[in-house]
Amino acid sequence: MALPISIRGVSRRFGQLTAIEDANLEIADGEFVAFIGPSGCGKTTLLRMVADLERVTTGEIWLGGLSPSQARKDRLLGLVSQRPAVLPWKSAIEDIRFTQSITRKAGYDAQRLLNDFGLSGHERKVPRQLSGGMLQRVNIASAIAHKPEILLMDEPFSALDEMKREELGLWFARELVKLPKTVLFVTHHIDEAVMLADRIVVFSPTPGRITREIKVDAPRPRGPDFRRSTVFVDTASQARELLAVGQ
Amino acid sequence: MSVIDPQGRKASAIRKIPDLGQFARISLAVCLPLASTLGLWYLVIFVSGMPAFVIPRPERVLEALIKDWDLIYSNLLETLKVAGLGFVIANVLGIGLAVLFLASPFWRQAIMPAAIALRNMPYVALVTVLMLAFGDTIGSKVTIVVLAGFFPVLVNAHKGLQVADEVVLDRMRILNANWWQTFMRVRLPYALPYIVAAQEITGTTSIVVAIAAEWMISSSGLGFVINKAMQTHRGDLVFAVAFVSALLSFGVYALVHAIGQRLDWRAVKE
Repeated sequence: MALPISIRGVSRRFGQLTAIEDANLEIADGEFVAFIGPSGCGKTTLLRMVADLERVTTGEIWLGGLSPSQARKDRLLGLVSQRPAVLPWKSAIEDIRFTQSITRKAGYDAQRLLNDFGLSGHERKVPRQLSGGMLQRVNIASAIAHKPEILLMDEPFSALDEMKREELGLWFARELVKLPKTVLFVTHHIDEAVMLADRIVVFSPTPGRITREIKVDAPRPRGPDFRRSTVFVDTASQARELLAVGQ
Repeated sequence: MSVIDPQGRKASAIRKIPDLGQFARISLAVCLPLASTLGLWYLVIFVSGMPAFVIPRPERVLEALIKDWDLIYSNLLETLKVAGLGFVIANVLGIGLAVLFLASPFWRQAIMPAAIALRNMPYVALVTVLMLAFGDTIGSKVTIVVLAGFFPVLVNAHKGLQVADEVVLDRMRILNANWWQTFMRVRLPYALPYIVAAQEITGTTSIVVAIAAEWMISSSGLGFVINKAMQTHRGDLVFAVAFVSALLSFGVYALVHAIGQRLDWRAVKE
């Protein structure tokens, strides 16, 4: 199951600074939408407002008819942060079960989730015993362990090197098909956005605004060959041009 | 099958050499500090020319320790009672206030200045006031130990409760965890290394402060024994009590440290 997201005339101000102004966006249930834009354009702020971690100054956000606060209280949201939000004293499997014990939702079977995420044999390892890529997989597994209907991802692969980032992106695209959810994905990386998303939302800075939306006209999941396709090349070029104009 | 080296000796025999080396290293580690301490002790006696009731010879101290053990032991129990009670109350107070500050920053503004003022007040003045108010009771001595011990616990526990990773706290919010869940399952484990570090200070301080308080106002405890020994020019007894209290402080430190190691999540085995 997944929920649609409706963002209507949303602004967020911090004193004199306007982080995001008059954002309007309709996201269908099960759709994967990537936010791209330069630093300080309000994409993370918008994601955090959807997550109910940040207050909306004006406008409204609805998640399948629920306010972000209600959706959070109903444990319908999952958050994957840039730095892994894992507990340093818990092993991989304990960390996944931690999510389930807090939410009191059985969700996915922890061992099966680890197996599916290629972490079989690493269940008992604590974060400092895992590589960056493995740790981010545990982070994602823990974020979805309670079967949230909306997955919010804030630059989840940005701390990884280029090769690991690409490998993890492809893996995530494959895995996500098995776990259908509405996904908001914040990234600075155009190729990553084109590889993963159904739609790319382009932001411009000062004040942060949504300037354009680009549809990625290809079915998901997309394999490594997609990088050489005309759709990929054209969409990525279009996104680059829009970002250059926005700045 | 045993391995033979070029000289024809068996490998098992060769392995015994490092064992002997290890034994020698441990013996040296124990004997060297002991020998150097005793050497320095005799040197000070020889160079300073101080009388035996000021700096007695080590063998005299050992003799006093054996001869006066019943006196030392009964007063040691008294000191342990004061230090132990003070330590527990200092922890309850320090950790309790740190949790209160976390739950409501208003209380931090209200209480912290008073705690800092109390911390910086000369203990002699505090002891005098407590003596006048309550006399030579266990309450006044325990109060002094608590006042000396609670501040490091409060400061460290308060700091420790703030260090939880922001992304983990965001995770708890998104999972709609309540205050108690976030406290018990995230903030407290993050704070444990800080709280344990405070225990290492407070544990040993409790003993030293309890003895000092007994020295000033009490008619029981190791501090009182030191006081009496001074009045009767029994330097050997003073040194014997000092030796026992140092051993006790070291024991408390080692115990707190060992418990702390077990609780510290950073010490998870590889």
